[in-house]
This record gives sequence, C-alpha cells and structure tokens, in this order.
Amino acid sequence: MIQYIFRRLLQGLPLLFIISLVLFVLMDNIGDPLATMGGRSVTRAADRQRLSRQLGLDQPILVRYVYWLIGNDWAKVDLDGDGVAETPGTRRGVLRGDFGTSLVVRGKPAIDVIAERIPNTLLLMVAAEVVIIAGALFMGIYSALHQYSFIDHAVTTISFIFYSMPIFFIALVSIYIFAVNFKAWGLPSLPANGMFDPTVGKTPAQVFLHMILPVVSIALISFAGYSRYIRSTMLEVQSQDYIRTAKSKGLGQRQILFGHALKNASLPIVTVVGLDLPLLLAGAVVTERIFAWPGMGRLFLDHVERVDVAVVMGILMITAVAVVVFQIITDIVYAWLDPRIRLK
Amino acid sequence: MSKLRQLWPLVVLLSLMVSACSPAVTPTTAPQPTALPAAAQPTAVPAQPTAAPVEPTAPPKAADRKVATFIWTQEFDTLNHFYSNKWFAQITDQIWNAWAWEFDDKNEPFPVLVKELPSVTNGGISTDGKVITMKLRDGITWSDGKPITAADFVFTYEMVTSPKNAVASTYPYDQIESVKAPDPQTVVVTFKEPFAPWQATLWHSVLPQHILQPVFDKDGTIDNAEWNHKPTVGAGPYVFKEWESGSFARFVARDDYWGGRPKIDEIFIKFVPDDASQTAAMKAGEGDLGTFPPLTDVPSLKDAGVNVVIARSGFNEGMFFNLGDKGHPALRDLRVRQAIALAFDRPALNQKLLLGLTQPPIGFWDALPAFNDPAVKVYPFDPEQAKQLLDEAGWKDSNGDGVRDKDGKELVLRYLTTNREIRQDAQAVAQQQLAEVGIKVELQALDSDILFGTFADNGPVSTGNYDLAQWSDAPQFPDPDREYWLCSEIPSAEKPAGTNSTFLCDKDLDALFKLQTTQVNVSERQDTFKKITKEFYDKIYWLGLWQDPDYWLVGKRLKDVTLSGVTPLYSIDQWDLQP
Repeated sequence: MIQYIFRRLLQGLPLLFIISLVLFVLMDNIGDPLATMGGRSVTRAADRQRLSRQLGLDQPILVRYVYWLIGNDWAKVDLDGDGVAETPGTRRGVLRGDFGTSLVVRGKPAIDVIAERIPNTLLLMVAAEVVIIAGALFMGIYSALHQYSFIDHAVTTISFIFYSMPIFFIALVSIYIFAVNFKAWGLPSLPANGMFDPTVGKTPAQVFLHMILPVVSIALISFAGYSRYIRSTMLEVQSQDYIRTAKSKGLGQRQILFGHALKNASLPIVTVVGLDLPLLLAGAVVTERIFAWPGMGRLFLDHVERVDVAVVMGILMITAVAVVVFQIITDIVYAWLDPRIRLK
Repeated sequence: MSKLRQLWPLVVLLSLMVSACSPAVTPTTAPQPTALPAAAQPTAVPAQPTAAPVEPTAPPKAADRKVATFIWTQEFDTLNHFYSNKWFAQITDQIWNAWAWEFDDKNEPFPVLVKELPSVTNGGISTDGKVITMKLRDGITWSDGKPITAADFVFTYEMVTSPKNAVASTYPYDQIESVKAPDPQTVVVTFKEPFAPWQATLWHSVLPQHILQPVFDKDGTIDNAEWNHKPTVGAGPYVFKEWESGSFARFVARDDYWGGRPKIDEIFIKFVPDDASQTAAMKAGEGDLGTFPPLTDVPSLKDAGVNVVIARSGFNEGMFFNLGDKGHPALRDLRVRQAIALAFDRPALNQKLLLGLTQPPIGFWDALPAFNDPAVKVYPFDPEQAKQLLDEAGWKDSNGDGVRDKDGKELVLRYLTTNREIRQDAQAVAQQQLAEVGIKVELQALDSDILFGTFADNGPVSTGNYDLAQWSDAPQFPDPDREYWLCSEIPSAEKPAGTNSTFLCDKDLDALFKLQTTQVNVSERQDTFKKITKEFYDKIYWLGLWQDPDYWLVGKRLKDVTLSGVTPLYSIDQWDLQP
C-alpha cells in the first residue's frame, strides 16, 4: 500500500509541473498588475516603469517562471534602474516553500495570505458538504425505497427548482427574507453578512449564526445532484441478486440497507465525493462574495482581478495538489469498501 | 467505538469553528494612555482640536461602548499609504493616522500636524515658489506617546524616494530637491522647480521613524515591514487593533489623542465586496457607513432611512478624443468634435442612467469652480446643429449607407471603455444618438488592465489605437494640475512612459499648463486656469459625460457626520453614535 501511494505521488509530480507552467503562462496574459493597482486612476507611467523593475515584472516570462519555481537568491537584480544588477535576490522559489510575495497585500508572503483564509473556507465548505451529503443520503435512500411516492416527487421537484437557480439569486433572496425583512417585521432575524457581530465578538455561537445562510444557500443548489445520484445507485443496487438473496435469507430491512445495499452503492458515490472534496479548498466564489465570508473563493477573485501571480498561483497549485492527493485517498477508500479491489 | 466514529464530521466542524474563531475577538476596553496629556494647539478651523489641554478620558464600560460598523466594498491592500493606490486604503488614513493638513467638507485645507498652512504671506512659501517651510504643531504625539517631529517628515521623504522601497508612487517627492529639519519643529521642503500643487499632494500621512528606521536598517527596505499591515503606532484619533484578511479591521479610540478622545469607542470596518449585499446590510441596520451603492438602490435605501451623501472628489466621467495620427482624421476637425458634443444628449443621460443624481460636468475641472471661466457651460443637445456642422466640415453621406464620409473615408469611430456596466450603457446610448447624425461608432469594452496597458504592452490607449475613449479621472484634486495634457507627455517609442494618451499638442495650452505649475499666487493661477478651461471648452479637447463624485451611505445611528471629497473621514473624531 505504501509503495502504491509513493508511486502515485511520484506520478503526480510531472503533472503538477505541467499544470504550473500552463497556469503561469495563462496568468501572464490576463492583464498588467500595475495598470491601476486597484486605484481609481491609471498608475503614473514613471511609477509603472520603476515598480515593474523593482518587482521583477520586467523580466521575460521564462525568467519569472524560473524565479517563481527555484527562486532568485542565486542571481542579482537591478533595483535602482541604473542598468546594473547589484542587489542579491531574496526569493527561494516554490520548490523550497517560498510562493513569493503578494502584489496586492504588499510585502506579505503569498503562503501566509492563503493560509489565513483556509480555515474559514474549510469551515464553510465542510459544513456545507456535511449538510449536503447527510441530507442527500437521507433523501436519496428514502426516495429509492419509496419510489414514485408523493414525497419522492415533492423532493425531486423542490430540489430541481433550487438546482436550476443561480446561487447569487438564492443568496440574495435569503438575505432579504431572513435578514432584512424578518428584522423589519420584528421577527428573529439572521445576520446579512460577515462572520460575527462586532458588539458581541467572534464567538463560536456568532460564527455559527453567520454560517447558516451561506451554508444553506450552497446546500440548496448542490442537494439535487447528490440526492438524485444516490437515489439512482440505490435503485440499481436494490435490483441485484445479492439483495434478493439477503431478503430470502430473512435479513432485516435495516441490515440489508446498511450492510449490503448502501455499502455497494457507495463506490460511485465515493468517486463523486472524492472529486468534490479537494475543491472545497478552493471555496465558493459567489457565496463567499455575497455573504462577505473571508474564504479562498473571495481571495482568488480579489487577487486574480489584480493579477497577483504569487497568490493566484499558490491557490491553484494547492488545489492541484489536493486533487492529486484526494484521488489517491479515493482509491484507498475503494479498497476499504470493496475487498475485491487490490491496489497495485 | 463505531458510534464515536460516526461523530467525526461533527468533530471536524467544531475544530474548524474553533480555529476560525481564533484568536477570539471580544469587545475590549480601549487602551490606557501611554503618555502625559498633550496640549492641543489652536487651529484655523472649528473641527480641529481646541486650545485647552486634552485630558485622557476614561474608557466607557464594555456594555456602553459605541461600536460603529463601516462597510468597505473593497479591502485595503496595505495600511501604509505610500504602498497603495487604493481609495479604500487612503480614506482609512484619517482613522488611525494623519496628514500634515487635511480637507473639510468644502474641500478646503486645514492644518493638522502643522501649526498653520504655509503661505507666501506667513513666510511658509518662498517668493520663487521653490521652498516650503512648515512649523509643526506643539505637543503632537504618536499613539505610543513618542513625539511627532520633523525627523519623521525627513524619514518619510527618504523612504518614499529610496530605490530599495517599492512604493506605489514617488510623486510628488521625486520633484523635491531636499527635505531638511533645522529643528524638531520645522520642516523645510525645497523643490527643484516651483511646484504649485504641493498642497494637494504632499504629506499624505507621515511614517514613524522610531518604528520603521530599525526595520530599514535591518532589512534594507520597509517593503515587508509588519507596520504596513499592523500599524499599531499612528497619529490619528484611533489606534489600530486588528486586521483579519477578507473579514474586518478594528480601530479603538485613543484616549490620549491630542485632539481629544473620539466620541465613538471603536470603528469596525467590515469588508463586503458585493454591492447588493452592502445595500441589504445597510437596510438591516448592520452597517453605519457604506460607500458607492448601486444607483438603482438609492431610492430604497432612502426609504429605509439611510442618508445618501454626495461628496465631490474631482472625478468626472468623460470622453477623451484621440487627436493623434492614429486617431480618425475627422476628430482633428473642431466642427466634428462640436457635432459629437451636440449630438450626445448628456443631460438626459444623467437623468435617466444616473437617476438625476449627477449633472454633465462643464469640463475636466468641473469640481473646482474657482478655476473655471464663467463662460464655460454644458453644450446643449442639438442634433440639427450637429448635422449642419458635419456638413460644413465636408462629412456627408455620399454613398447612402447611412454613415457620413469624406474623400472615400467613412466616419466610423472606435469607441473604447472599460467593462464597467454603466460605461457600456453610456456607450450604447452614444452609439444610437451619434448614428442619428450619421456617425457610426464601433464599441469595445475592455478590462481596465488591458485598456490601460503600457505602451510597451501595446495598450490601446497608450499607443493611440482608438478614436474615442471613456473613463473617469480627476486633476490632482483639489489642485487643478494634471500633467497629461502636455505635448512633452505624448507617448512614443522614445518616450514610452508618456502619459498624454489623447496626443493633444496645443502650443498655447502647453505654455499655460507650464505656467500654472509655477504660480504660487492663487488668484494668478486661477486666472491661468480660466484661460485653460475656456480653451478646453471652445476646442472640445475633452467632453464631460457625468460628474463622478463619492457616494456615501450614512446609517440612522451615525450622527454629526461631515464628509470631504479629499480626506473623507477628516472629522471622524467628532462623529457620534446614537441608539
């Protein structure tokens, strides 16, 4: 098993290298980070020239990629613009754990900028994922066991209504109903956005309260996909010979459901969940923006707008690594669920 | 055991919740005074500290603390003013730091760190306009109790101009020959040439030497100084407490502030990037101050009791004509530019698209009435006269395709702007109205990073690959100077850093622009600018579409709020919060 994991990780390295190269080239073509620098006016041309030199943006793309990958502490850079590279570089490169310095949060290591957001994103996304999977499992199994019942039809209809709505619509409508209107009507209301009420402080209870609307919004649009998938795999498994055998042996409904049907139906579900889990790290761009949740999705959006290569590349590479790792984990879970599968 | 295993999602969630909440932020009492009370100085404006010594005020009990929530739709990128171009970073200065002088709700300057504004009459400005001498206010201190001295100003100048520091802009410090401190209370700034816009551009905050000098000595730069993100020492009425990326920043009242303790105990800035979400939060009473709402939300915000305050900041949305060789030749004919001005119904655009909240600006210097010639006004909407002017200029529809032409060249103009929605709406209106007088307009909406790409990167504006372009800009407000109308600023392969992207080169105007930068006598400078604005009006070198002021949302609880277009939060220590 360890040999298998090690080999898969080694196989992932060239993939990550190619991904990093492609992303770096793409990033180079999405705009000039010094054009306005987030300001209302165009950056003065003399300042653009100076900053371009000081920040190393005047170098050819290949040189910048090499500096990003292995650092520039072996080279010298021209800070004062006299044409002579006299100052030793300070970057150590991604391969030595230095993702560079953010162009937006000036002077702050990109990895620190990213690390600050990861707990917030995981909190929101793991909570949403748990709600989605728990709800989808319950409703998927119920619908499969009560196929074409009223509740099966009702849940299907409602979940597809939400599935067909854009997340920003659900998010804004929920804010207006539960935060603005409930407050205006004198009913107990939920907070519109943010993570806590400043007059109370950032307590777990406050964070939980502020998570309700974003978690429910994410869950509502994702629920249909999961529940319908679980329903169909459960229906397929229920018609298998071994379920009929289990029934004929006189096993109870509960034992058949959880001991045989669900375990066998789990393999494709694990694939879907396994592919989704690494993306939890990337956050929910629209939801985090509307609910002012300080997660990775917002970070990505804010920094891609400013062409902050260090931070954006950091987020993308962390996500890419997570995808590779979770694929390996998914394979391991396969073997655990189905002993017939052997990892070689 | 198996039951315990089933609880893992709960355990993970709880762990994440605890980690996301850490360090726990709970309301705190304001910090204790760290220095003896300072004697505030008399000033020229009532909003300033009084002459009486300021006694440290006891912080209120936790339950009585007044916490105002400001909603910023963009997060500041740094709190070191010199490292940011962002408006949201710059307007935060007045909370925790101070400029040498700031500007009130009429955009008039008043002294803050200095005793009085330098002028020729008080000897603060030399007769040749090159030397500015500032006397610092007595008893001003940083929030850690250390005195603010002339050495801090010299240090600030040295840091901004050091090639080891990648500051956002070295302007106007790169126009300075020297900054000296003959004594701890006196700063002498000597410019290389007479520099009239000093008041609007100099000393937008000062750096604390005693904090940053050791960093510079150790690292060789202050680019990575912790103070840039955690400026626990400042010169303003509040003290920085905490900044959590993407979420919030907190500033608590400074008990020993030399201008008197602020009435509000804590300023809590929440970063809410979505405009609609900001509107909802303001309506729900979760925000006390907001900015730039979608204009369509203004009526419902007013209905909800939110006050919408407009502050002129010098910005105007306008149409820039490419008068260079790469622009359409028709635009070099004054009659064609006049026809465009007459054919585009800008008053209706302001009424319908901007809900009547703005007017078409009379010119680039619309927000500075004292600098405008009285004859300058908005061109009326008169498509018939526009057609007549185009006929006179020889642009007629000879081939019957609905588009005017001359000498075989069609009057088809490339009209560029950024992808901001309201700009694209305005483009569409212009396209329709200009088509009615026989001018065809091809629209392009580009990302601002691409529209304003450099000459080297073949940016369309920098290289002149456009005919009409639209964006919002301002002079060095509240100073009227703007360097990019000079002939010498026209970009070229030899001068790729040139900023004159309209390629305008009018020798008479050039002389007037150069003259005004040297005029330290205000009325003489105003007279020069009256000539400039008249030239711009007569020759239509720029066409104003709408005033682009700052929009503020002031919640019901916030009292005594006055806002400036330059230093918006200049009077924040006077604001109050009522339940």
